Amino acid sequence: MPNVLVFAESRGSDLRKVALEATTAARAFVDASGGGEVHALVAGPAGIAAKAEQLGKYGADVVITCEHAGLARYARESVAATLAERAKQGYRAVFMPFSANGRDLGPRVAAKLDAPLGSDATSVAMSGDAIVVKHPGYANKVIIELTITGPLAVISLRPSAFTPVEKPRAAKTDSVQPAADPGAERVVVKDVVEGAKGKLDLGEAPVIVSGGRGLKEAANFKLVEDLASAFGNAAVGATRAVTDDGWRPHSDQIGQTGRQVSPQLYVAAGISGAIQHLAGMRTARTIVAINKDPEAPIFKVADYGIVGDVLEILPVLTAAVREAKKGH
Amino acid sequence: MKIAVCIKRTPDSESRFKIAAGGAGIDESGVKFDMDDFASYAVEAALQINEKQPPGETIVFAVGPDAIQETLRKAMSMGADRAVHLKSDAPLFDGISIAKALAAELKSGGFDLILFGRHAFDSSAGVVGTATAEMLGLPCVTAVSHLEVSPGKGSARREIEGAGEVVEFSLPAVVTIDEGVARPRYPSLKGIMAAKKKPLESKPAQVGPVRVSVKSMELPADRPPGRIIGQGSAAVPELVRLLQTEAKVL
Amino acid sequence: MSAENYTFLFVLVLATGFFAYNAQRLVSFVALGQADYRLDRPFARLWNVLMVGIAQTKILRDPVAGVMHAVIFWGFMVLTAGTVELLIAGVFPAFSFSMFLPDLLFEGYEASQDAFAVFVLGAIGFAYFRRLVLRPKRLDGDKVEHGDAYLILGMIGALMATLLLSVAFLEVARPGTVSEAHFASRMMAAALSSVPADAAWNAHRIQWWAHALLVLGFLNYLPYSKHLHVVTSLFNVFFSNTSWKGERAVMRPMDLEADDAQFGAADVEQLTWKNLLDGFSCTECGRCTSVCPANITGKPLSPRKIILDARHRLMEKGPALAAGSIATDIVSHRLLDQFITEDELWACTSCRACVQECPVSIDQLDVINEMRRHLVLSESRFPAEVQPAFESLEKNGSPWAFASADRAKWADGMTIPIMSDLAARGERADVLFWVGCMGSFDDRSKKTTVAFARILQACGIKFAILGQEEHCHGDPARRLGNEYLYQMLAKDTIETLNRYNVLTIVTSCPHCFHQMGNEFPQLGGNYEVIHHSTYIERLLAEGRVELKGDEGKRLTVTYHDSCYLGRYNDVYDAPRETLRRALPVMNFVEPPRTKDRGLCCGAGGGRMFMEERTGKRINAERVDELVATGADTIAVACPFCMTMMNDGAKARDAKVDVLDIAEVVASRLAN
Repeated sequence: MPNVLVFAESRGSDLRKVALEATTAARAFVDASGGGEVHALVAGPAGIAAKAEQLGKYGADVVITCEHAGLARYARESVAATLAERAKQGYRAVFMPFSANGRDLGPRVAAKLDAPLGSDATSVAMSGDAIVVKHPGYANKVIIELTITGPLAVISLRPSAFTPVEKPRAAKTDSVQPAADPGAERVVVKDVVEGAKGKLDLGEAPVIVSGGRGLKEAANFKLVEDLASAFGNAAVGATRAVTDDGWRPHSDQIGQTGRQVSPQLYVAAGISGAIQHLAGMRTARTIVAINKDPEAPIFKVADYGIVGDVLEILPVLTAAVREAKKGH
Repeated sequence: MKIAVCIKRTPDSESRFKIAAGGAGIDESGVKFDMDDFASYAVEAALQINEKQPPGETIVFAVGPDAIQETLRKAMSMGADRAVHLKSDAPLFDGISIAKALAAELKSGGFDLILFGRHAFDSSAGVVGTATAEMLGLPCVTAVSHLEVSPGKGSARREIEGAGEVVEFSLPAVVTIDEGVARPRYPSLKGIMAAKKKPLESKPAQVGPVRVSVKSMELPADRPPGRIIGQGSAAVPELVRLLQTEAKVL
Repeated sequence: MSAENYTFLFVLVLATGFFAYNAQRLVSFVALGQADYRLDRPFARLWNVLMVGIAQTKILRDPVAGVMHAVIFWGFMVLTAGTVELLIAGVFPAFSFSMFLPDLLFEGYEASQDAFAVFVLGAIGFAYFRRLVLRPKRLDGDKVEHGDAYLILGMIGALMATLLLSVAFLEVARPGTVSEAHFASRMMAAALSSVPADAAWNAHRIQWWAHALLVLGFLNYLPYSKHLHVVTSLFNVFFSNTSWKGERAVMRPMDLEADDAQFGAADVEQLTWKNLLDGFSCTECGRCTSVCPANITGKPLSPRKIILDARHRLMEKGPALAAGSIATDIVSHRLLDQFITEDELWACTSCRACVQECPVSIDQLDVINEMRRHLVLSESRFPAEVQPAFESLEKNGSPWAFASADRAKWADGMTIPIMSDLAARGERADVLFWVGCMGSFDDRSKKTTVAFARILQACGIKFAILGQEEHCHGDPARRLGNEYLYQMLAKDTIETLNRYNVLTIVTSCPHCFHQMGNEFPQLGGNYEVIHHSTYIERLLAEGRVELKGDEGKRLTVTYHDSCYLGRYNDVYDAPRETLRRALPVMNFVEPPRTKDRGLCCGAGGGRMFMEERTGKRINAERVDELVATGADTIAVACPFCMTMMNDGAKARDAKVDVLDIAEVVASRLAN
């Protein structure tokens, strides 16, 4: 009858989708292991409790809120202390997302509790006394199955690996005080610069839309920018031919002599796929190619290809992506 | 500044991996190993800080088998002053146990700054740096893409989903380094020669009890072969559908 | 001996003494350079002197200036004999070559003096006309001053005039003393016959003294002038690289293990004495710079400037160095950075056009290579975009980060034997097909690889590939100055080749061909390496390739010479002959710059892995030229040229196909 404590991540005064994923994963884990309770802890500014209630819908038996004005931004030391403090109350595991802040939090909590940590799990289950997780390592090239022993373990879950499923419980509520004063953080968040305002760097953008000479002229790069903005989290790249011709700055060049990137999604628009370019983007997780020449080498590395005029296809794709994003 | 950089030796990311007999590890034959990319960013960041604000000392640390000495030499060929090898043949997937070995070593070192890579290519877990900080009781900033330090304090930017977080912190501190901080320098032959003469101390690592171990490893299903899904804009709805349901990137 | 003779003796001793002092000073500067043994193959060296020096073969590559110079040079050779006679006679008035020579020969000698004096005067006149009116572009730039040239030309002109006049006035003063063989002087004497004998005698002595003093003055002007080449160039040619193929174009071996190992050159004393002698041999003619692809397209590199900078720096640092004392400001100041910038060095495509063109056999490329070595090995300075190539070479054995597991993917479905499989079965291949990184990973070049493999199969050649065991031999690293990485990769490759007892290697990449054939011997790897152009041409000539019976398309084809095939290895005819045999009905057209004058594609010397941000792109310049021939097909024999020509054609919207010669032949195979 393992009980699991979930760190349900929030940003500002909202829950994040990864919080629902972690709660769902914990529910499934507990149910598959002979039953137990899922307790979800939410830390945030005043008012977060109201948002936290929905966690019951995803299977939390107890929703624990920790409200404090100092938690409007990520107070790593305070949250870690609060979570670790609560975790001592008879849990088998602490679940949290392997998000940017979850990655930061996991080792802190594990070290405070002297508990083993399984990072970035895509599956988690009990196996005898131990917990077994699957975790893609080696840049997703090898799936590692890890056995985690000990009475208490910290597990972080790969975002999007668990789809939130509604399993409503009549969740009880509880509240805790921060175990450490968020005002006494040694690492102080001075600012959070939203991606939309700051330009996304090619190295960090999860999506890259790149254009090549197939766009015919510099002005048509607008179509590439439009698609990038439809994705919302995309940066714009270019081939060497394009940067050489001055259509785009040299800093946008992707390839052997430019930036080497491996985003989640790479859209190559009007790019034939010379070795120079492939060397810079081949490792992207998913590659989409749009090119008028079906023989273009880019189609050899692309997961999905559309043969046709990039100038005709891009606006349609942009509209479709906008639509898909809206529905999300 | 006295800066410690903890580095790791990992397989080259371009390798085509095979699972070793026994199924609990990769087949290392034909696989090239080198300093982990993020570790090399951390070494470069340390060297640049000490070059811009001399005097300083950069000391590299690594936990692992003897082969890791080669990686420590590489850090010294880039410019690190000396190296400490914490010898251990323990498996590398329990970050907490390794953090204990490093914390024990770094505790009395009097470092102003301790740098790590944000995570290593092989374990891809990102545990050791932050856990070491926790054990040392030091402030810690993770996955930093921009770092500035001055005596007693530092500021950094870290990337969180769709945004950048700008933080300030006091020194001594632990920082884990993401790409973007600095492009690692290429060691000159002069540097390689000099590194052969720099001090490298090797001693047993005090690794904690291992509670995370590899049960098995497997290769993911082959990436489905690329396909042309259609002609012209008529193919767009199908593309969007595949991106949502199959590739799950939308 | 008269008082005049004693006076002349005094002047002669003074002048030659002063020259000797200056000469030993310059020799001591040259001696500051690093050791470099250059006395092997004496006959090949003498042959070079005969052809390049005496016969002026290289200077005659420019038909106009070449003839002009050859006339002056041959005149100098001939007239020097007269000068020797004249100087001796200045001390011993009775001296004359007639004392040793039979009459007829002596008369011939006398006639030759007059004839060449006239020819040279004509050539000098043309030289002035060329510099003042025609003004060839290559004579300007790199802060080259025309003053030195005008002075030299003037002195030579005056030498000729005084020589003829002194003899002419002698004849006027003492009619009948000058032989009729001095036809020009005699004609002038006839014109001057009205001058009284006494005045003529005085004029003769004045002209004689003027001529003698000019000779001695000129001699002492040499060490301060580019005209020093009259003394140094024959030596320079003698000491230049020997052998006519391949070997002369190899990069200098480097012992990385040696205790006193010096990693390249940052200043003059780190260059070899031959590099320094090059500086004193340069006549600033600008032939090198005028053919440099980087210079032509507006990059900061001028090979002439590299050599002149080395000379200027040597003149600046040499005195203190030779004296064993060094002023601190001379130390912080060096050839690298203060004279030659990093950008100049990285602009070089290593195409060897400069070396090919230099009439006095200067090796500009050697200096560039040594300085690149210093930048990389000692200071780790290189364009940022080169680092991924270095790192990938080290980790993946290819300048591009492709998995070596994918090396033989091009052969999927082709049943190409792999060396290790053959060895496991106890079998051997006659020939190793070395595919190369471009041929293995670049989608376009893979088509060439497949085409060549199909030809080999069609001819029943017992060949094999190394498959995953192949990795780059390190040539790109070497060209980029990274000798350390190069030797690592090359030694490893040699080990693999020796493990399979490989004797013969064929490859479709001229860079692999040059590296493995010509430079591997430095590291103990000796193989017969054949480029696919030569190999296919042989197969065609032997009738082993069964071609289609029809005539094929009537293409208009031009061929772009690869530098590493052409200037590095003198392979010019094989690719052309291959095309002719495969496409007998084609219309073959040559661009203006072709064969050993061919313009580089822009990818050599590691430029493939660098950005080209300044000036016109070299491949665009080349494609423009090739398209202007009216060709619909550009044939190449190098994967790097293939990429550059393709990119260039795209950038210029040119409607041309770019094909490797192997693809042309494969498309004509009977099956």
